[in-house]
Amino acid sequence: MKRRVLAVILGMAMVCSMAACGGSSGDKKNSESTKEDSGKITFAWWGNQVRNERTSKILEMYSEENPGVTFDGQFSEWNDYWNKLATASAGHTMPDIVQMDLQYYDQYVKNGLLLDLTPYIEDGTLNLSDVDESILDSAKVDGKTYAVCNGVNAPALLYNKTALDKVGIQVKDGMTIDEFVELSKEVKEKTGLRTNIGYNHETLPEYWLRAKGQVFFEEGKLGAKSADDISTVFDLEEQAVKEGWHVDPSVFTEITVGSAEQDPMVYGSNEDSMSWCAFAYSNQLSSIQQAAPEGVEIGITTWPSDDLEKSNYLKPSQFFAVTTDCKNPEEAVKVLDYITNSVECNEVLLGERGVPISQKVSEAITPQLDETNQKIVGYINEVVTPTCSTINPAAPNGANEVYDLLKNLEEQVLYGQITAEDAAKQLFEEGNAFMEAGAQ
Amino acid sequence: MKKTKQMSIRKKLNTESAAGVICTMPFIIGFLLFMIVPMGISLYYSFCNYDILSTPQWCGLDNYIKMFTDDPKFWKAIAVTFYFALVSVPLRLIFALIVAMILVKSSKASAFYRAVYYLPSIIGGSVAVAILWKRMFAADGVVNKILSVFGFPADFAWLGNTKTAIWTLIILAVWQFGSSMLIFLSALKQIPAELYEAADVDGANKFNKFFKITLPLLTPTIFFNLVMQMINGFLAFTQCFIITQGKPMDSTLFYTVYTYFQSFKFYNTGYGAALAWVMLLLIGLITLVLFATKKFWVYDEGN
Amino acid sequence: MKKARIHRKIIYHVIVTIFGLIMIYPLIWMIMSSFKDTNTIFTTAGQLIPEEFTVDNYINGWKGFAGVSFGTFFKNSLFISVVATVGTVFSSSIVAYGLARCKFKGKRILVVAMLLSMMLPAQVLMIPQYLWYQKLGWVNSYMPLIVPYCFAIQGFFTYLMMNFIQGIPRELDEAAKIDGCSYYGIFGRIIFPLMLPVLITSGIFSFMWRWDDFLSALLYINDSAKYPVSLALKLFSDPGSSSDYGAMFAMATLSVLPIMLIFIFLQKYIVEGISTSGLKG
Repeated sequence: MKRRVLAVILGMAMVCSMAACGGSSGDKKNSESTKEDSGKITFAWWGNQVRNERTSKILEMYSEENPGVTFDGQFSEWNDYWNKLATASAGHTMPDIVQMDLQYYDQYVKNGLLLDLTPYIEDGTLNLSDVDESILDSAKVDGKTYAVCNGVNAPALLYNKTALDKVGIQVKDGMTIDEFVELSKEVKEKTGLRTNIGYNHETLPEYWLRAKGQVFFEEGKLGAKSADDISTVFDLEEQAVKEGWHVDPSVFTEITVGSAEQDPMVYGSNEDSMSWCAFAYSNQLSSIQQAAPEGVEIGITTWPSDDLEKSNYLKPSQFFAVTTDCKNPEEAVKVLDYITNSVECNEVLLGERGVPISQKVSEAITPQLDETNQKIVGYINEVVTPTCSTINPAAPNGANEVYDLLKNLEEQVLYGQITAEDAAKQLFEEGNAFMEAGAQ
Repeated sequence: MKKTKQMSIRKKLNTESAAGVICTMPFIIGFLLFMIVPMGISLYYSFCNYDILSTPQWCGLDNYIKMFTDDPKFWKAIAVTFYFALVSVPLRLIFALIVAMILVKSSKASAFYRAVYYLPSIIGGSVAVAILWKRMFAADGVVNKILSVFGFPADFAWLGNTKTAIWTLIILAVWQFGSSMLIFLSALKQIPAELYEAADVDGANKFNKFFKITLPLLTPTIFFNLVMQMINGFLAFTQCFIITQGKPMDSTLFYTVYTYFQSFKFYNTGYGAALAWVMLLLIGLITLVLFATKKFWVYDEGN
Repeated sequence: MKKARIHRKIIYHVIVTIFGLIMIYPLIWMIMSSFKDTNTIFTTAGQLIPEEFTVDNYINGWKGFAGVSFGTFFKNSLFISVVATVGTVFSSSIVAYGLARCKFKGKRILVVAMLLSMMLPAQVLMIPQYLWYQKLGWVNSYMPLIVPYCFAIQGFFTYLMMNFIQGIPRELDEAAKIDGCSYYGIFGRIIFPLMLPVLITSGIFSFMWRWDDFLSALLYINDSAKYPVSLALKLFSDPGSSSDYGAMFAMATLSVLPIMLIFIFLQKYIVEGISTSGLKG
């Protein structure tokens, strides 16, 4: 008897789960009937309170101008956002318009979850004529565009200008790596502040690889030719720890890494746990400046590189994309056009996601920005744009595991558990294995 | 005639086994409707190469083979989780029992204290706790300051050291002993007062009363707490996720957090499901062992 | 003799109070921080008392997001938590009675199923559950957050109550049976009322867990006006840019209040509640 009951239960489980799995392809029909009011567009993004307010506001504005179109704005915290989106993609119930990040873009495109926008760009529904070519290229996968960038960023080394001014140290744009090392030592000597070399900034090796004319990722393998080519970051960290000018790695366990408020540049109990600089992106200047103690001015310059033009790039801060679950793509694409080209709309958004990609819009709103944001625009237009090259293609499947491995190895180097040479070797070997597995 | 039929149905419904089935019906329905299907699907995923975004592809035992032969992090996470659960659970229970014994008296003051001691469990896994915990155990944090008062070296980075980081999480788990305490409290109240009165007559001291009356009568509750907290301990997630994320160098990588990373950070969802099912087997085994020991130390009302 | 007793009492209170302060230090820290200027929370994390008390964080936080105030989030949370808790407590109590007092075929399998269902982490069940509830048409409603709990789906509560019922003397059942009570009558008239302490314990736990649960709300609720507090609290932080920790702490402080009040009002029933001691023997 016991056995029979067990068998029945197991049987039911199998049947039900089969039905649920096998049926997922037929789900599209299901969700169609539930989403009948096609005038309603669901729009999802991640961000903070400011972004939530401003984005909701422009959606309202759009509804007023276009009667019949209403929005369901869904906002979540970064990690939650990706959980929710991934889960919804499994059920084919993704929102109509989604905010996308370069980190996930390729995977969503390859799995056919984002709508090809090329026809809409060609017929003018989505007008991108005012946008720099290299920015458009960053959203292309096999020649097709699946998303529109909604702001421009660039790698930026943020530094504590006030502290450096006090001891008479000037920072110039376009430092070489050696100059950066010398500077770090000088700063340590004169101010006591240490240096935080890009720990947890996963794109640093890529930046330095670009100077050697190599990419970080290729399909199914790492782009680096040898372990030597990716050892720069480990070498620097090893040297810095040995010579005592690197922030103690235990500091990173005592803060929330990535949070502006707790960045070692603005937060720490004494010089030994604080850094004079932070490897970041240009848009982070405003949050770091906001988090800095009163009277501290934050400066912005390029990441050090031996060949700045090859290394440096303009980066889409984020994208907006229309998903393949969208029932009324035409209408959704029009919203993207509005966000890209409407000055009015961007007067509300005020470059909170990055410098607007349309030249016209960016010029129109610059005077309305606060001092910090003007500094960002200046940095992008005057420092980065003249000396940069096109960004690498979006990271393919397996990249997140490589990044994780990279962070892990950096941590071990900082703790002195392994040598820089071994770390590079391990990154090269295991990284290639991850990429190979990811490509399957 | 009709009446007798009705009577017999009533009678049938009132047999012990019928009553048992009817009473447990909500769970039977709920389990079949809400648990068995998702569990079935996740079991199916564990045999698949699945990345959420595309359709799952059957790959047989690959995930399980990879786990045991080609994934050092799996073993690391197992070791960390066992260490955490086996240390934090007994500590938490002992602590909860002691505090419950102290606060069981019904007076105005102890009612207030009970609330105070239960509070930490309420704020559970909030961001505030995460931030504060890191502050407290930082090199210049409160903990070191207190230690320096007693003359210990005062700049130790508790969170930054691979040996001590896990202990900050264990302390957090022990600190939130409120729910076990509450269960102990209600069990303590269930112990008949006459037993103590009778013991008083026999001239038993406090020590004797605790070991002869309280402890034996509490064993069912201790057993319950042990089983539940063990399951909780092995499935612990929040402490690690909000505070250390496995750092430094995976020395605090909880199994569930690793599962989560595989499923949602690396999109190896099939592998994540396999990891979860291995954990289910492990916990199941441990629970089975606990139940097997039950008859040796748990006091049974029936006998 | 009397003096010694007073001394002992004083020592007891001093120790319990000092220890209690250590226990709730983090909570006090959070409350104090919520009155600090949001930019100074980290720079002054070492000191407890704000240099200047400000209620800006409360005003800022209460405004909520995109026109939905925290009032709405609280209302949503309250609704979900209360309904789910009532459902859990009632369904679990009757199931627990069936398992504790009746012998029937398949009982052991049910107990095993109950325990097994607790052993899979919620994160792993996320996607399968989503697919299944989507089939049931439950996405973007409170159904997934409430209905399953009305079917005694949380083994913890069933098991807890089972344990409690086993502690109630069987003689009571026998006596009632002789008086002509059915199995259901025994539950309704005798066992259920006696279960008050455990019902309240379970109620407190269930309410707290439902209140703190954000994972299912995250997956199933698409309309931000339907968000519960737990989910809304997370919207203050953004790892990529700046977070408003002041407002988050302020709202987190408010969000602790309901659970705290419930605990303070109900805890006396746990400890002073109906005692079975007088009935035994």
